[in-house]
Amino acid sequence: MFQTGKTKVALLLEALEKSYGKIKALHHLSLSVEPGQIVGLIGPDGSGKTTAMRIATGLLTPDNGSVRILDIDPFIRPRQAKELIGYMPQRFSLYPDLTVSENLRFFSDLYLVTKHDRIERQERLMKFSRLGPFTNRRASKLSGGMKQKLALMCALIHTPSLLILDEPTTGVDPVSRQEFWNILRELAEQGIGILVSTPYMDEASLCDNILMMYEGRIIGTGKPEDITTLFPDKLLEIRDIDITEIKRKLQMKYPTLSVQRFGDKLHIPYSDEEQFETIKSAVPDRTQVNPIKPGIEDTFVALMSKPNITADYISEESG
Amino acid sequence: MIAPVLYLIRKEFLQIFRDHAMRGIIFVVPLIQLMIFSYAVTTDLKDIRIAILDNDKTIASRNLISALVESDYFKLVSTAPNPKHLRHNLLTSDADVTLWIPLGFSEDLATGNGAQVALNVDGSNSSIALRALGYTEAVVRLQAMKSLESFIQASITIPSNQTPSTNWDLQDEDQIATSPRIVPQIMNPRLIEPVMRFFYNPTLESRYYMIPGILVLLITLISAFLTGMAVVKEKELGTLEQLMVSPLTPAQLIAGKTIPFVVLAYFELAVATTFAILWFKLPLVGSIPLLALCALVYLLVTLGVGLLVSTISNTQQQAMFTVWFFLIFGILMSGFFFPIENMPVIIQKITVINPLRYFIEIIRGIFLRGATFDDVLPNLLPMLVIGLVIFSAAIMRFRKRTK
Repeated sequence: MFQTGKTKVALLLEALEKSYGKIKALHHLSLSVEPGQIVGLIGPDGSGKTTAMRIATGLLTPDNGSVRILDIDPFIRPRQAKELIGYMPQRFSLYPDLTVSENLRFFSDLYLVTKHDRIERQERLMKFSRLGPFTNRRASKLSGGMKQKLALMCALIHTPSLLILDEPTTGVDPVSRQEFWNILRELAEQGIGILVSTPYMDEASLCDNILMMYEGRIIGTGKPEDITTLFPDKLLEIRDIDITEIKRKLQMKYPTLSVQRFGDKLHIPYSDEEQFETIKSAVPDRTQVNPIKPGIEDTFVALMSKPNITADYISEESG
Repeated sequence: MIAPVLYLIRKEFLQIFRDHAMRGIIFVVPLIQLMIFSYAVTTDLKDIRIAILDNDKTIASRNLISALVESDYFKLVSTAPNPKHLRHNLLTSDADVTLWIPLGFSEDLATGNGAQVALNVDGSNSSIALRALGYTEAVVRLQAMKSLESFIQASITIPSNQTPSTNWDLQDEDQIATSPRIVPQIMNPRLIEPVMRFFYNPTLESRYYMIPGILVLLITLISAFLTGMAVVKEKELGTLEQLMVSPLTPAQLIAGKTIPFVVLAYFELAVATTFAILWFKLPLVGSIPLLALCALVYLLVTLGVGLLVSTISNTQQQAMFTVWFFLIFGILMSGFFFPIENMPVIIQKITVINPLRYFIEIIRGIFLRGATFDDVLPNLLPMLVIGLVIFSAAIMRFRKRTK
């Protein structure tokens, strides 16, 4: 009943609950990933992204709720489910003392990929990832970006239908990050469902769907171009050379005001023109104050402070 | 589903042989250990340093001295001019043993009423002291006997009785002092002569006793340490999670992580055994297949320990120290160095759960006595039970963690 159209949902998490002792890591978490869709999980450390992903891969058992990988319950048929998943953990987790091709070979062996298929796929993946010249290099001797690409190749060698990537680009240089996302987009076009977590808001905009997570809950969801409509107020931006001083003054004068600093700018939500004028009059004349469109990060911050306006993703989708 | 296990094993060997340190641990360290242990860990006492004061200066006293000095056991370090000097030799540790042959030794001997010599031993190392005392006493006794025989044969008239008036005291109460009183049978000193023979290790070479024990240590180290470390290493690298998200079953994972170390342990046992036989001329009286079978049962224990430790350790250091902690107790209470019979009763009872104890007993039995399956069974069975318990506990904890 949760399927959209005829294709099976690549990943469906329903009403997951998970606690570590007294700490509740997941509160009634639900999400779905369609085949060919890139779903981005964004949220600060400790918001439950990794826990949700580890439950999806079968590494953790939820206290409550259900998991389906292409309609398969991984806790009833773990083997079948595991064959459908490609997983890249947050930390680089390949054998550093094995070469690029030995790592690929080992992981293809684990999934019982035939020799013929392996050779063909390895060639294709090497070209695709441009790791070709480094086939015989030890994994420990690769750069950060190359390591992540190799990890992705190892997760792909058994042609999974669902990719689960936990912060795959953390600590990777901007060029390699761009390359990595190009690869993800190509994979999605081949029909693979991708669940990816990221701390980078700019990467969130490359997803098909964004799930904002905070304290084990999904606090907002939508397409990157739509999700900012969840921003409850209007937003203004203040630019000045001495932004620290202005922030301090504003917060002293209006303690209830939510003032967020982005580099040399301040973002402040406001409700109406009157409030806009009040803020403007509170800063020096030289300071620029302009209304702007809220970004993903503004939205996240706004929703974070009001965690109860949770948009229920599943019920929206299934109607 | 054997294939994934074989792939895991291949990967494990690939990693082991690529690691310089690992190659050293597996191929070089065991031979070095075998050499050093076998030569150094010996309870045979040679070259006991002896200082002698001969006030008698007769044929009998000189014969006694040369009998001592010519044996392999003693090395004459000083001929003292007076008793004070003897005492000084002991005090400064120049000598382990001092012997004082008083004036009248020869005469006393000839009376047949017994002659006395003063034997003082440095007791600060009790195990050396006791053994040195034993050797010296044996040589003195034997020599006295011979001298007496020659007296009798020469039909020397027995001189009038004299009670020895020598002051035996070297003025040191801390030393073990003994004065063997030699009371010969005048008519026939060799009326009863026991003919002794030691079975299985006729010359009582301590090496024959130690080497089988060292073999046990070697395969314990290889199997328990390396298995534990190999699993924890995957945990550290995060690759254990990668294996757990793959379709591998816990059973396949355990097999893939333990079988390489079974192979290595057997390899190690074979190399060390060959070396022990060829180099140290250690006799292997018993059957090799029986040895292999018992080793397999023992590996069940050590691999189980390795796995169990890996489930409670997060780093290789933790795993190493945990295994080491148990290994020390295992070795000390195994009868490897100290006989279990000498331990307090309560400790003896605790050693019932010490698998090393059984395996050392088994391996000594097979090597030296040619023990058969029936002979080793009383040791094999408890070892099997311990192995099954530890290994099942390890599997249960492992499965729980991989679930």
